Amino acid sequence: MRCILHTIFFHRTLTLVRPKDVDCGLFEITYVQCGLADLEKEVDEKINQFIAWVEKHPNRRSQVCLSFFDEKNKNPCWFSNKTERIYWEQWFINLHVISPKGHGKSHSSKATTDLGGKALEETSSRRAALGLLIQEVLFQIINFANEKKDHIPLISDRIFNHEIMIPSSSDSVFGWNADVLRRVLNS
Amino acid sequence: MATLSDSAGGGGSGRAGAELMVPQFLLKALHAILAVRVPRPLAAGTSAASFRRRDRWFHLPLHAPPPPAAAEQLPEPSATEPLVVDIYLTPSGGAGAEEVVERWTVSCEPWSAGARAAAGAGEGLAVNRAYKRCITMLRSVYTALRLLPAYRVFRLLCASGQSYNYEIGFRVGSFAAPFTRAEESAMRTRRFAPVETQLGRLVVSVQYLPSLAAFNLEICSLAPAMIITDYVGSPAAEPMRAFPASLTEAAGSAFPPPSRRPNSWASPVPWPHAPVQQAKFSPPLPLYASPTPSPPTFAGGYLQSRLSGETAPMIIPTTSSGRGPVHHRNMSDPIRGFMLPPPSPKNMRGEAGLHETPTDTRKAEVLRMADLYANLPAAPKIKDSRDESGRFSGVFSSSGSPRLGFSRSSSRLSMQDDTDDADFPFAVDDVDTPDSRPGSSGGKDVGDQASSSSHKSQDAAVGYLVHLLRSARPLRDASNSPHTSRAESLEAGATSSFMSRRTSDAFEELESFKEIRENLLARSRSRMQDSLDKSVRHS
Repeated sequence: MRCILHTIFFHRTLTLVRPKDVDCGLFEITYVQCGLADLEKEVDEKINQFIAWVEKHPNRRSQVCLSFFDEKNKNPCWFSNKTERIYWEQWFINLHVISPKGHGKSHSSKATTDLGGKALEETSSRRAALGLLIQEVLFQIINFANEKKDHIPLISDRIFNHEIMIPSSSDSVFGWNADVLRRVLNS
Repeated sequence: MATLSDSAGGGGSGRAGAELMVPQFLLKALHAILAVRVPRPLAAGTSAASFRRRDRWFHLPLHAPPPPAAAEQLPEPSATEPLVVDIYLTPSGGAGAEEVVERWTVSCEPWSAGARAAAGAGEGLAVNRAYKRCITMLRSVYTALRLLPAYRVFRLLCASGQSYNYEIGFRVGSFAAPFTRAEESAMRTRRFAPVETQLGRLVVSVQYLPSLAAFNLEICSLAPAMIITDYVGSPAAEPMRAFPASLTEAAGSAFPPPSRRPNSWASPVPWPHAPVQQAKFSPPLPLYASPTPSPPTFAGGYLQSRLSGETAPMIIPTTSSGRGPVHHRNMSDPIRGFMLPPPSPKNMRGEAGLHETPTDTRKAEVLRMADLYANLPAAPKIKDSRDESGRFSGVFSSSGSPRLGFSRSSSRLSMQDDTDDADFPFAVDDVDTPDSRPGSSGGKDVGDQASSSSHKSQDAAVGYLVHLLRSARPLRDASNSPHTSRAESLEAGATSSFMSRRTSDAFEELESFKEIRENLLARSRSRMQDSLDKSVRHS
């Protein structure tokens, strides 16, 4: 998650950045962060919230949405200062978090060792496959980020307005879609 | 660059901006590629508090890691020519052909005539928009550089202290030899979405090998060999404990490994018979190797050769007047109070009763013994470069007549001398060549000119140990004699440089030398008795 989010931000943060290479030791991937402390903190918080949600809803498909928007005053007048958000780009990250399966009880230590060894092999191969998958996802982000660029607003001195939407505990079986629907209705 | 990003742009100013921007884009791309493809020791925690002006191009400072210094020497790319960067792997040592693992191509494809006209009109080709797109493209290039397999190789080769069986290199030019069909088929290609500028379309693509496992990168050696000059115990690290170059070269032994603290208690080394050497010494020999000047051990044979009369000369600080007024010199004798090693048995036989004299003349006897010993036949001398400065440099000539060599300025035998002498912890290592040794002073002839070579080496060892013992802490009570006060102060000064020696080892050696001394004393006594008898008969 961190790889993906930071890579997107790195492509869409057009202000002066201090690129920072970060090694994701788990998958042997090096991704780039913008080197902005506030952004890193925000991403970490959102990831922690997402992990908490995943722990409560194991083995469920989920989606994380990273949106970039502009804020405009809606019907500005003296008595109201409503602003509306105009999303100019949204990234949907579909996830299916699978909990690691527990191994059955064994009455012999040797069997346990064998099972443990097999589990390690499976884990490492699964991890390698996941690493390749993440690498492909990052290349996809590169392609998407470069295909369409005209819609990006003018470069400013700060990061574009954005929000990271994760499934919340109050979501129904439809996940975060209800939240998005509510927002669309309000806009 | 804020002007490029914020201005409306277009028309003539747009083209000027593009002419400025495109070469900078090519340069930035080149630096970004080389920064993570040219292995070099990467400084940890590079500070990027302030960027140079040109680092701000495209809002992407290349600081972690920065481009290599070689990149600064490359000519600035031209907007009209493509930039081709080949990254290749080649076996270390040049024993093999290069193989290109990655090829980056960055170019500005000029517009056709019709398109150029449209671009010139400024339809939708604002510089700021192009600049914004360039920023995004460079971010993509920056990210992709870290996802490609060559980045892993770069990181491996950058690891400090390791060299691999392959080296990574690069070639920059505007043209590169096309790949063969086989190479082309083995490579994958990624193209980044082009950016349209008023000069043309900026295109970036990369061809790369999807896997570098075939190269089988292995560590072929650890850290490159480097000379450690300040290892523990080295002359550079501990100037007081250095060895003279002459000693080691004369000994002809291999230097001990720098990582192992040399021990002077290591296996003995035959006393050198080589001529005097003047060269600096580093690192020390096993025999004298300990920078903490502990007395060396000597094999029996070695000692035997020393006692044969052909002594290896040991430089004892001498006065210019030679050995005549030994007694007077004793007052300033820095070795007063030291337990001198016994001279060669052959040489010292005639001097009876030296050890029986009263305490107040004991120093004179001791000095005389050293004198006698000093004149035993010597092995070639190793001259200490600091010999004349007044260090403990005992010269044991091979003339057979004992000569007490003291420093010409014995008062300089002080702690300061020890400190200053960066390569001379064991003065005994200095020996005179047979030719260079001073002649005997006549007088007491206690040396046996015809001693065998075994006496030489023994005498050399004894003389060497004499000097060591001199500089050791006095074994006797300090209240022995008022005459000893000055010498003892000098001793203390000299001893401090050898404090780390083990006194137990010194005691053991002292015992052995005592025995030798007794033998020599007996011999000298008998000789003196003979000579007295002769003189009486003649008279």
